[in-house]
Amino acid sequence: MIVVATARIRRPSAPARRDATIGAVGVVIALVAWEVLARSLEGAFVLAAPTAVVAAIIDNGPLLGRALAATGSTALIGFVIGNLAAVLLAALAAVWPRSERTVTGLALIVVCLPLVATAPLLRVLLGAGDGPQIALAALAVYYTTLIPLLVGLRAVPDTWLDLVRVAGRGTLTALIVVRARASVPYLAAGLQIAAPAALLGAMVGEFTGAERGLGVLTIRASRDLDVDLTWALATIAAVVSMLAYAIIGAIGRAASGGQPPTILAAPRIAAGAGRLRRTLTGAVSAVLATVALWWGGIVLLNVTPFVARTPVDVVGIFAGTRDNGATRDALFAALGDTAVFVAPGYLAGLAAGVLLAVLIVLVPGASGAVMPIAVALRSVPIVTTAPLIVLLIGRGAVGAITLIAVMVFFPTLVACLHGLRQAPGQALDVMAVYAAAPWRVLLRARIPAMLPAFFAAARMSVPAAVLAVTVVEWLATGTGIGALMARSASLSNYDALAGAVVLVTAVSALGYAVVGAIETRMLARYAPEQAS
Amino acid sequence: MAPDHRAGAAVQVDAASKVYPDGTDAVAPITLALEAGRTTALVGPSGCGKSTLLRMIAGLELPTGGDVRIDGEHPDAVQRRGELAVAFQDPSLLPWRSVAANIALARELARLGRDDARVTELIELVGLTGFAAMKPAALSGGMRQRAAIARALATEPRLLLLDEPFGAVDELTRQQLARELPALWQGGGTTTLLVTHSVAEAVRLADRVIVLSPRPARVLADIPTELPRPRNDVGPEAERFERAIVEALERGRAGGDATQTGG
Repeated sequence: MIVVATARIRRPSAPARRDATIGAVGVVIALVAWEVLARSLEGAFVLAAPTAVVAAIIDNGPLLGRALAATGSTALIGFVIGNLAAVLLAALAAVWPRSERTVTGLALIVVCLPLVATAPLLRVLLGAGDGPQIALAALAVYYTTLIPLLVGLRAVPDTWLDLVRVAGRGTLTALIVVRARASVPYLAAGLQIAAPAALLGAMVGEFTGAERGLGVLTIRASRDLDVDLTWALATIAAVVSMLAYAIIGAIGRAASGGQPPTILAAPRIAAGAGRLRRTLTGAVSAVLATVALWWGGIVLLNVTPFVARTPVDVVGIFAGTRDNGATRDALFAALGDTAVFVAPGYLAGLAAGVLLAVLIVLVPGASGAVMPIAVALRSVPIVTTAPLIVLLIGRGAVGAITLIAVMVFFPTLVACLHGLRQAPGQALDVMAVYAAAPWRVLLRARIPAMLPAFFAAARMSVPAAVLAVTVVEWLATGTGIGALMARSASLSNYDALAGAVVLVTAVSALGYAVVGAIETRMLARYAPEQAS
Repeated sequence: MAPDHRAGAAVQVDAASKVYPDGTDAVAPITLALEAGRTTALVGPSGCGKSTLLRMIAGLELPTGGDVRIDGEHPDAVQRRGELAVAFQDPSLLPWRSVAANIALARELARLGRDDARVTELIELVGLTGFAAMKPAALSGGMRQRAAIARALATEPRLLLLDEPFGAVDELTRQQLARELPALWQGGGTTTLLVTHSVAEAVRLADRVIVLSPRPARVLADIPTELPRPRNDVGPEAERFERAIVEALERGRAGGDATQTGG
C-alpha cells in the first residue's frame, strides 16, 4: 500500500557496481546473523534459520508450488483488472478534469476500505472460488497505479499542450499524442508497486476460506505453530514480491527510456481562498459516488437483505435507531482499543524512518547499500510479515505496535532517502563554499528538500497503518476493531460488519486528510515550489 | 473570401487587454495591426506582457477585453484549419519522437496528411541533415531550436508566431540562427510576429518594430525598419533604428507617455 514510487536514476556503472557489491555483502551478513540467531533461539518456536527455511521449501516443494501457482494466477488476474480500471479512470480525469477530484476521492475511499471486513463480505457475495481473491487484488492495485498515473498525465510542459491547442485540437488529442506517452514512466512506477499489492490482496482473499494458495497455507502453518513452514511461506511471498517489483521496474525502465521519475503523489496545492471549498466539494462528490456505487451494487447484484446493509441502515446503526446503539457502542469501544496500537506504531515508524534516513545520509556510501534492501523489504506484503512478527514478539501490544511501525518505516525510509538526495546541487555548493558543517547542510538544505517526500509517505502511511493494525488484530492480538470485524464476519453480524467498514474507512480517510492538511501548510512554508 | 493557403494573414488586435484571475494586469487595452506577409517584432522589457499578447493572437489566451481577429476571424477558426504555428522559447520537442517525427507532428496535429518530402526538405533547410532519426536529447540547444522552427514551418502556416525562439540558446548560435532562419519564413509570404527582448535581433529580423512599455503593456513606439536583406552587417542605418528603440524603451522605464514615433 505504498505510493511513494521511486525508481533509480541510471548511474555510472562503477558506483552502481560498488553499491551492488555492498548490497550483496549486506545481504550475506544479514543471512549469517539470521542463521546464528535462529540457532541460538532453537526450541523457542520463533525463528527458523535460513537453512531450515530452505529445507522446508524443498520438503514441501510440490505443495508450495501448487499454492504459488494458485495465488500467482489470481493475483495476476486482479492485477490486470485493477490496473485497467485505473488506466481508464485516469484517462477520464485527463480528458475531463472536473472529474479528477471525484476519481481520486473514490480511489482514496477504496484504499481505506478495511480488507479484514471487505474480504469476508466479498466471500459471501462472490461465493467459493477465486472471485474474492481476484476482487481484492484488483482493489489493492487500483490506487497504487491510479495516483502515479494521474501525476504522470499532468506532468507535461504547458507548451506541449499549447502545440496541440494551436493546431485547433482538443483534450482527447492531447491525451493521445502527448500525455499518454509522457506518463509511461509514471505508469511503470505505479505498476511496480502494484505487483506486491496484488499479491497481498490475493492472499488476504485466500484467508477467508479459499481452497488453495499461499494464504491458506500461511493460516494453516501459523495455527499449527509450524515455524519452519511459516518462515518458508513468508520467504516465498517476499521473494516473489521483490522479483515482481524488480522485473516490472526493469521493463518500465526499458520502455520509458528516459529517467524514471520520483513520484511523491503530492496533492495539488490550490492557491488561496478556493482551496477549502474545492477540497470539500471533492470530498462530498467522492462520498456521493461511493454511496451511489454501494447502493447501486446492492440493487444490481440483488444482494440478499440478510447480508446487504444500505447507507440508510448504516446511518441507523450510528444514530442508534436500529439496536439502541449497541453496535455503535461496541464499534467505538473497539476503535478506542485500536487507537492505542495504531497511534504509537504510526509515529514510531515515521520517526524511525526519518532518523535512519538522516543517519544514512551522514555516512558516505551508506545509502547505496541500504537503499536496495529497503526498497526490497518495502515490497514485502503485510500478510507475510504479520505471522513472523507474531512468532518473534508475541501476540501482545508490543508485537502489534512493532508491526505497524515496520509497515510505516520502510516507505518512510525510502521516501526520505530520495528526498534527502534531492537537495538542490547549487544550495549544496553554496554551503560547500562556506565549508558548512555536515549537520548544518542537513538542517538547511537536505531536510527542507526531504519534506515533500516525507509528507507524501506520512500521508500514504495512514491507510497502510490502519490496514496493518486491523490485520494484526485479526491474526494475532484478538482485540480492537480488526478482531471485531473478523468476529462479526464469522458470526454473520452484518450490522457490525457494515458499521465497521464505514467507520474504519472514514477514520482512515480522515487521518489521511489531516496529514494532507498539515502537509499543505508545511510545504507552503518550506517548499513553496511544490505549490502550483 | 476563401483564404489562399499560402498567403499571409492580416492580424487586427482591437483594444485587446488581459487581466489574470489573480488580478495581474498583463496587457493594457492595445490596438495594433500586423500586415499580411510582413515580419513584425514586439520588443519590450522582461515580463511586460508581450508573450501574453502573442498568446492572445495565437488563441491560447482569451482577451479579457477587446478582440483579436485574423483575417476577420477568431483565432480558433484559424487554428482549426492548421494555418497558425507557434515556436516557443523552449523548443518543446517531444522527447520520445525523433527529429523528423517531431517536425511531422505539426502536420499530424493539423490533419494535413503525411508529407515526408516536406519534412526532409525542412530538415535540410534548418541544417539538421543527418540528424533526422535522432532523439532531441542527442541534440544541442541550438539544433533543438532549429528543429522547433522547422516544425513550426511544416504546415506552411499563414501566421507564424515566434515567442523568443532564440532566447534559450547561446549567443553565437543565436546570431547564427538569426542570420539563417529569416529566409525560411520570408520566402512564402508568411505573416510573422516575433517576440523578443533583443533590440539587435528585432532590427535584424523585422520589417517593423513595436516597442512595448513595462506591464501592463502599451505601445511606446512603432518603428518601420525596412532595410535591405540579407542584413548580415549592422550598418549605420541599423544602428539608428537600434538607438530609436532603446530610447523608446528607456522612456517607457522612466514612465514616459506612449508616443507613436516614426523611424
